[in-house]
Amino acid sequence: MTLLNMFLDTAAANSAANYLPIGIQIFFAIGFVATMLVLSNFMGPKRKTSDKLETFASGIETHGDARQPMAIKYFLVAILFVLFDVEVIFFYPYAVNFKELGWAGFGEIVLFVAFFLAGFVYIIKKGALNWED
Amino acid sequence: MNAIILSAAFGVVMMLCSFLIKNKSNFRHIASVALLILLIGNIADTYGYTFFAIDTHGMLQFNRFGLLFNSIAIGSTLLYVLLTGKEIENAGMHVAEYFTLILFVLCGVTLLSAYNNLLTLFLGIEIMSIPLYILTGSDKRNMKSNEAALKYFLMGSFSTGLMLMGIALTYGGTGTFSLEVVRNAPNMYKGLVSFLEILGLLFLLVSMAFKVSAAPFHFWTPDVYDGAPSVFTSFMATIVKAAGFIAFIKLCAVRMAETESVVDWKMIYAIIIVATLLVGNITAVFQQSVKRMLAYSSIAQAGFMLFTLISLNDMAYEGILLYSAAYSLATIGIFAVLVKMKDYTFDGYNGLAKTQPVLAATNTVFLLSLSGIPLTAGFFAKYYMLAAVVKTGNYTWLVITGVLFAAVSVYYYFRVIQAMYFKEGNAETTTIVPSFKYGLIALAAIIILLGIFPTLLLRWLYF
Repeated sequence: MTLLNMFLDTAAANSAANYLPIGIQIFFAIGFVATMLVLSNFMGPKRKTSDKLETFASGIETHGDARQPMAIKYFLVAILFVLFDVEVIFFYPYAVNFKELGWAGFGEIVLFVAFFLAGFVYIIKKGALNWED
Repeated sequence: MNAIILSAAFGVVMMLCSFLIKNKSNFRHIASVALLILLIGNIADTYGYTFFAIDTHGMLQFNRFGLLFNSIAIGSTLLYVLLTGKEIENAGMHVAEYFTLILFVLCGVTLLSAYNNLLTLFLGIEIMSIPLYILTGSDKRNMKSNEAALKYFLMGSFSTGLMLMGIALTYGGTGTFSLEVVRNAPNMYKGLVSFLEILGLLFLLVSMAFKVSAAPFHFWTPDVYDGAPSVFTSFMATIVKAAGFIAFIKLCAVRMAETESVVDWKMIYAIIIVATLLVGNITAVFQQSVKRMLAYSSIAQAGFMLFTLISLNDMAYEGILLYSAAYSLATIGIFAVLVKMKDYTFDGYNGLAKTQPVLAATNTVFLLSLSGIPLTAGFFAKYYMLAAVVKTGNYTWLVITGVLFAAVSVYYYFRVIQAMYFKEGNAETTTIVPSFKYGLIALAAIIILLGIFPTLLLRWLYF
C-alpha cells in the first residue's frame, strides 16, 4: 500500500523517478531473454553438421551462386511501366468527374484507352516483353 | 482540326502496320497515301469542311495562315517521302516506325500552327521534338548518330525545361495560360506588366530560339544535323524548323507585342538575327563537308526567317510562308542528292556534271534558290523578308546586314556548283533510278515556278 502510494506521489510530482517502473520492466525483459538464450545454449543438445550451414532453399539442394547477373530488360520494362502507370493517373480526374462528364466523357476515355491499347498491341507484337532472346 | 486528328490516327495505323505487313517497300506507299489524304483533309479544313467538330475551349484557333502553312508542311513531307522514301528504308531496321514518327511530327507541326494557349504550344513542341530524338538516333550502329541523339535529347530537354519554367512564370504574372491576355481584368493591375511575365517571356524566347537554332542557342545544330542519318537531317532542317518559326512568330506577334512598352523586344530580335546570320554564314564558309555546310546554312537561313519577328506585317506573313516553302523544297532536294553521294565532302562532288548531269543541274537550281538568285523561289522569299522590314521604316541597318550576309552565303553554295561543273573528278553515286531523276526535275520545276510567280502560292492566303 505504501509502495503504491509512493508511485502515485511521484507520478503527481512528475519527476525522473516517475519512469522507475518502466526501467524495472526493461531490465527484467532484457534479463529474462538473455538468461534464456545463455541457458539454452549451454544446456540444449547440439548436432553440428555442414548441411546446417548451407543456405535454406525449402529443402532442395542449392546449386550455383545467388549473386550472378541476370538479364532483365529493366530499362524497357521500366519505360513501359511508366507508360501504363501514367495512363492510370489520367483515370483519377475522370473518376472524380465521372457523373458530370456523362456519355461524352465516357466516349473520350474509351478513345484514350483504345489509343493505349494500340500501343500495347504494338509492344507485344514487337516482342518487347520477350525476356529470352 | 482534320490534320491534327488524321496525322495522329495515321501514325497509329502506320505503327500497327509495322507487324501486320511483312514487305518493307509497302510502308513507303502507305505513308505516301496517308500523307496525300492528310493533305486533302487539311485543304478541306481550309475551306470549311471540318470532319470532326470538337470544342477546344479556345486552346486552338484555326486561321487561314496556319492552315496554309499546314498544307505547305504536309505537301513538302509528301514530296520528301516520294523523293527519298527509298533512303528512309535503308536508314535502319524499323522502317514503318520511321514513317510513324514522321506522321507524329506532323501532328505536332499542325498543333503548332494553330495553338492559342501556352499549354498547346508546349504540347506541340514536345510532340514535334520527341520523335526527332528517336529519328536522330535511328542508325543504332553508328557512334556519331548515337552521340547526336544523346546530345539532341539532353539539350532539347533542357530547353524544354526552360520553356516550362517560362510558361509557369507567365502564368504567375498574368493568371492565365491563354496566349492573349485580357489586360484590364479586375484581378490585374491596370496597365502594369508583371515582372514575372517578362521573365517568363524571356525564358520562352530563349527556348524557342533554341528550337529554331538561332544564335547564340545554335550549338547543338551542326553536331546533330551532321550525326543524324542524312534523310532525317533533311526532314529536321526543313519542315520541323519552319514549324518552329510559325510558333515563334505567333508567340512574338501576340505576347511580346503586348509587353512592348516595357521591354524593347525588337532590339533583342535584332541582336539575335545579326548573331545568327554572322555565326551561320561565317562558319559555313570554312566547312569541308557539304552536310555540315548545310547544317550551318540552315542556321543562316534561320536568321533570314527571323526577320519576320521585326516586321510582323502582312508582307512578312506572306514572306514566311513563301520562305518556308522555298527553303524546305530546296533543302529537301539538296539532301536527296546528298544521300546518293558516296562522299559527303566538297571534293566528293567533283565532276558530278559529267557522271550525273541531271543531278548536277537540279542540284544547281536548289543551291541557287537557297542563295537567293532571281528566277528561283529563294529570291522572292528573301525579297519578301527584307521588303517587309523596309516597309516598317526602321531597322534599315538590319536589312543592309541581311543583304551582305546573303552575298556571303553565295560563296559557299557556289563552291558546290563549282565542284560539280568546273572541277575534274569522278563523283561516285549510288545507283540512280529514272523516277528519282524525274522527281528532282519536278522539284526544281516547282522552285522555278514559284520564283517566277510567287503569287501562285500566296494567293491561297486570301481565297
